[in-house]
Amino acid sequence: MTEFLPRGRSEAARLMLEELRTGSATGLVMLGVENAPPDVLAKISRDMTDVLVRSGQFAFVNNGARNLLNSPEQQMLFRYRYLLSSLTQPAAFTVESLHDDMQRLLRGLQSSAAPLVQQFGFADPIGAFLGIARDWIGTSKVRSVDGVWFASERDRALILARTQAGSLDIAGQEAANAAIRQAFATARQGDARLLAAGPAVFALDAANTMRADVQLLSIASVILVAGLVLWRFRSPWVLGVIAIPVTLGATAGALVVQLAFGFVHAVTIGFGMTMLGVTVDYPVLLVGHRKRGEAAPITIRRIGEAFTLAVITAALGLTGILSSGFPGLSQLGCFAIIGILVAAAVTRWLLPRLIVMADLAPVESGNPATLLRIERLRAWRAWCAGACALSGAGLLAMGGPHLEKNLTALSPVPDSAFALDAELRGELGAPDAVSIALVQGGDVEAVLRKEEALLPVLERLATEKVFGGVEIAARYLPSVATQRARQASLPPPDELAARIAVAEAELPFRGGSFQTFVEDVAASRTMAPLRLSDITSPLIAVRLQPLLFQRGQDWYGVIAPSDLLAPERFAAAMRDAGATFVDVSAEANEVVAAYTATAWRWFGLGALAALIAVAVGLRDVTRVISVVGAITGAVVVTMGILSAMGTRLSLLHIVSLQFVIGVGLDYALFFARRQLDEEERARTLRTLTTCNAMTVLTFSLLMLCRTPLLHDIGTTVVIGALSALVFSFMFAGERQPAVAGSV
Amino acid sequence: MQMLASVQESNATFTEVKVIASLTRPLQDSGRLRYRRPSHLEKVTVEPLAERLVVDGDRLTLAEGGAAPRVIDLNAEPMIRGLVDAIRGTLAGDLATLQRSYRVSMEGDVAAWRLTLVPIDPSLAQLIVSTTIDGAGASLRGVQTRQTNGDDIRMTITPVS
Repeated sequence: MTEFLPRGRSEAARLMLEELRTGSATGLVMLGVENAPPDVLAKISRDMTDVLVRSGQFAFVNNGARNLLNSPEQQMLFRYRYLLSSLTQPAAFTVESLHDDMQRLLRGLQSSAAPLVQQFGFADPIGAFLGIARDWIGTSKVRSVDGVWFASERDRALILARTQAGSLDIAGQEAANAAIRQAFATARQGDARLLAAGPAVFALDAANTMRADVQLLSIASVILVAGLVLWRFRSPWVLGVIAIPVTLGATAGALVVQLAFGFVHAVTIGFGMTMLGVTVDYPVLLVGHRKRGEAAPITIRRIGEAFTLAVITAALGLTGILSSGFPGLSQLGCFAIIGILVAAAVTRWLLPRLIVMADLAPVESGNPATLLRIERLRAWRAWCAGACALSGAGLLAMGGPHLEKNLTALSPVPDSAFALDAELRGELGAPDAVSIALVQGGDVEAVLRKEEALLPVLERLATEKVFGGVEIAARYLPSVATQRARQASLPPPDELAARIAVAEAELPFRGGSFQTFVEDVAASRTMAPLRLSDITSPLIAVRLQPLLFQRGQDWYGVIAPSDLLAPERFAAAMRDAGATFVDVSAEANEVVAAYTATAWRWFGLGALAALIAVAVGLRDVTRVISVVGAITGAVVVTMGILSAMGTRLSLLHIVSLQFVIGVGLDYALFFARRQLDEEERARTLRTLTTCNAMTVLTFSLLMLCRTPLLHDIGTTVVIGALSALVFSFMFAGERQPAVAGSV
Repeated sequence: MQMLASVQESNATFTEVKVIASLTRPLQDSGRLRYRRPSHLEKVTVEPLAERLVVDGDRLTLAEGGAAPRVIDLNAEPMIRGLVDAIRGTLAGDLATLQRSYRVSMEGDVAAWRLTLVPIDPSLAQLIVSTTIDGAGASLRGVQTRQTNGDDIRMTITPVS
């Protein structure tokens, strides 16, 4: 769905939205296992991790059992410690400083932690490696149970993984998800439950849920509509007659979009078919108004004017979004307009012959007495007008309907999944990539140098509690320039040995205790600096990838704070320091808000065009007012009900309301025909009720969907179509004289 | 072992002498020990530097002087777990725990026994050659740990009634 939206406004926002959509962060998978005793959960976590690693679907899987302090990565970081550590400064190698370090070492040896202190204390008395290790462990909030990660607040084992497959590789993501399911099935014990979150899981879950929903609903709605139509017309042929215009219309629509835009977006087809739902009514209107045995031109003469006007206004109503300038919306408008026109043309010129050949007509045209009783309901017209006015007043009182400002509302992912994502992210201490700063450079080194200039600023912000922690590539991997400067500041071996001798003079160290230290410092002076391309360890690469990446020609560094308490201070400090601040969610949401507002404006312009068409077509002020009143009433009441339900109106509602207006025009214009005998009026009422029942049946099924997107469309159309029928009947139909009522 | 397994709680004082290969003189310290069944062990060093080490279940907390305590999860640190198990397993009379990390041999009689633990676990064997624990009846009298780097740590224990 995000692809359907325009790109972000600023370069940085565009880049981050793009990176979030396709970058390495999209492969993130967060797993939780709960609902079993802790030791069982830990075992499941270990077993699952084994299976996941062996599946080969993941670039990286970690359940906490592999921590830095007993891994091959430790050896690499230890070897490069004096190049990577910010402690490597001339001051750290003075006699005084070394003396202090030795005293600290002595205290450590005295303590119960002696075995740990001895591990690194002699080879690295200045503590460079432990500083690096602390940076890598970071501000993790996880606790450890049986050696694997657990959430701090509850018994839930946590696993963090990243898929090999990128976000655009659906088959790869399917395989990764299958591996997760299989791993859990293998490792599962008792009632343990698996929770999965992360962009990769969501995308697929949403696609699968939606596919399952749509498949089930398509079948159910075809059966229901077919049943209704068969019952009404008692001929299987009518099904074919209904299918022909909509099929040809959709095909022509897709073809024209392909020709005009060069490609057809999947969303265009999806939403476009919703809008084309109105064309299913066209053959029903034709067949429903035919008397059995009647020649086609006679039927056409009776309904032709209303039908043509309904089609033209529906098409004109869509010109708004056609000319909106947003590629997605324009495609949608184009698809729907062509579809409607073609379907209408087919209905008008091709179907009559088929209908006559199959002699399709309603089984009965209705009982005039019942009709009159129903028509007497129009006496309650004022009440309906009151309801419309009330809705309108309500909308005005709340300052117009609330427009959707949140990108996630357009996502097919349910809210509960987002909540789970946020929860697992918090428990794992993963930055949520919402407010970040960005630096840009021609190569890795340029980016790292710019980031190094930010480090003192970030340190100050951390002490001022602007954020809890911050992820930045330069902290893990200093620029080559910095590494070279550190090498230059290391004393030569003889010099260092001499200083050590002075520093340890009064202390009980045996000569040569620090020999490894002297040798390692000597080696550090000449080793080649560590570069990004030298890093092969997945544990380290996985940490750096989201923080340091290439897009096009340029490299980008991301500065991602966690537990951000004062976003505006972080933003200001980063801007002052020359970095670009991006509030990713605000950017995305602003784009959506601007988009939605513009779409509504174009929707309004389209409606205005339709209004003019109705006025020109009917040439009768009373009828224009009654038709426009009925449609406006339906739209206002629908928006009012949705707003009262707390719904924020988005693109989905525009699409749905376009459809409501399309069917509403049919209803209103057919009811608005004048000087009809009772028989014809009964036919119209029954035909329109059939059309309405088809729409309501189909879309009320959507209301049962788990996918919020489909659910919203269903709700809007059902409310809209029902109120359109009611108001069209009440306002657009002629009020019968009192005499007629007494017959 | 069964005698040890019947002890609910015990208190003692200790003195420790660490002979560290890299140092020219041994380091000494002393303090109190306390054990409560099944898994609580406390070592409070009084001299020369105040320190408090508490093991409870799988959690080890080490507080040195006024510094913020360090918490270590024993499951994540098999080496430290091995060190803790040697003492706690003996105090608990829990041979199974001891045998998980060590080859265990026993000599002497009830009045004066000696338990020798040789690590099986490779990460522990990298650090420790052997641990010997001396006892009398249901109480511990001494623990000696010989490390692979030549270090030697002897703890002498005096029960407090």
